[in-house]
Amino acid sequence: MIKHRESLISAYHNYLVNNMLSPGFFVGDPHSQDDFYFLADIMLPEEAIPPISARLFDRQGLLLLELKRNNLAENPGHCTLETTPGGFRIVCRSDELLLEVNTQRFANGYLTRIKTQLYDGSNILRIEPLHEGVQVYGQACLALDAPFEFHKR
Amino acid sequence: MKKVKTNSPSKGIWVFGDYRHYFQNRVTLQLIAKAKTLAQRLGAEVTVVVLGEQVHQYAMEYVAHGADVVMVVDHPSLKNFQVETYSRLVAALVEDYRPEVFLAGATPFGREFFPRLAKRLKTGLSTDCIALEIDAETQFLLQTTPAFGGELLAEVITENHRPQMATVHPGVFEERIHGSRAVGRIIYPEVDIHPDERVQLVCSRPEQSKKGYLENAAVVIVGGRGIGSGEQFQSLFDLAELLQGEVGATRPAVHAGLTGEDRLLGQTGKSVKPRLLITVGTSGALQYTTGIQGSETIIAINRDAQAPIFEIADLGLVGDAHSILTLLVEKLRKRL
Repeated sequence: MIKHRESLISAYHNYLVNNMLSPGFFVGDPHSQDDFYFLADIMLPEEAIPPISARLFDRQGLLLLELKRNNLAENPGHCTLETTPGGFRIVCRSDELLLEVNTQRFANGYLTRIKTQLYDGSNILRIEPLHEGVQVYGQACLALDAPFEFHKR
Repeated sequence: MKKVKTNSPSKGIWVFGDYRHYFQNRVTLQLIAKAKTLAQRLGAEVTVVVLGEQVHQYAMEYVAHGADVVMVVDHPSLKNFQVETYSRLVAALVEDYRPEVFLAGATPFGREFFPRLAKRLKTGLSTDCIALEIDAETQFLLQTTPAFGGELLAEVITENHRPQMATVHPGVFEERIHGSRAVGRIIYPEVDIHPDERVQLVCSRPEQSKKGYLENAAVVIVGGRGIGSGEQFQSLFDLAELLQGEVGATRPAVHAGLTGEDRLLGQTGKSVKPRLLITVGTSGALQYTTGIQGSETIIAINRDAQAPIFEIADLGLVGDAHSILTLLVEKLRKRL
């Protein structure tokens, strides 16, 4: 048998994660009140910007920021969110790039590449760059089949 | 008497994703649409096999047009369609996943690739099919293709070998509407990719001709051998220009040097579905008419009133092609 990797693919928009296309994915537990998570949610055909939510920590385990659908909800780390032609980027107070989200437009759809290296509150590596996209580690869902609903557990 | 198929271990319908000139060459999308219909009868899935480098966009397009599964082998060495490497890789996938049916467009690459693949897989191949159906009793793929020089249509089945393989002309089937909300599965097989070193691509450059200009034209003027000389063939271009159309040709006209191979219509050329097709000096041989059968309105001009072309024409003009063309061009110039 030939081994294979498998994911879902959306006709409209995908991310590149673990060297696969995926309509949406998350790492960590987006429902948790204070733990690390990173959620690249499904972008629907009536939308043109991929919705990213996350709770991110620095290497000392201190909360840097909480992002809710591309908006900074909490920002104790005094990070800066900058829009770019293809999406946005978040820069730390030390000018270090924390997260870059870049969406490429095709004739009939979109592809988003995420560039980041993230550690959880225990300083364990959870996301790092891999080729055009990212590789994720630990608790994760690599292919969402519906938009994430925060109130459901 | 037909044999009833026993439980075959083969499953699914595969379509080869020939995405070069994607927005002009729609044959893969047309095959996906047909495969969906066939797959419903088999209770199977449609898988599109895509090889290449950075093929994300095409994988998404195939899902939007109805593919249940996209199987992707993405590697820099697959950037160029190399028939030997592609044959080896796809044969390995077929032997592992064992599809019931495997279809490809009768594109220049499909014509080179699929016979080699069929040989490797030791199965049959029907080329240039004009119809595909599933036999209700046996569930075999019925492959209708012109045979014996186009004199008759043969219905072919591949009874004892799998997959059942066929190539189909662009334009024979209709593609489905693009569905942005579609979601499918994507599979990345871990195949051993070592490009064939016997053949190395030194350089490539795009063809000079306009890709898809004939297949997408609303008006097509076709010249056959009966039109006579090259000078008279040129009057087809005058007429096409007035009607904002394109010029096609039959095999005898191409063989006679009246125009180039890129304008060839029919079994071994392009298929067209224009709103209006004017066919001049063509007898109506099956190998030609298979390429124009989707035309909305066909006007035939031929000096032989018994020519078979009149059987499929909506309007027939019996007379000298050159005289009629000259008159037609004159009249149109005055009106337009």
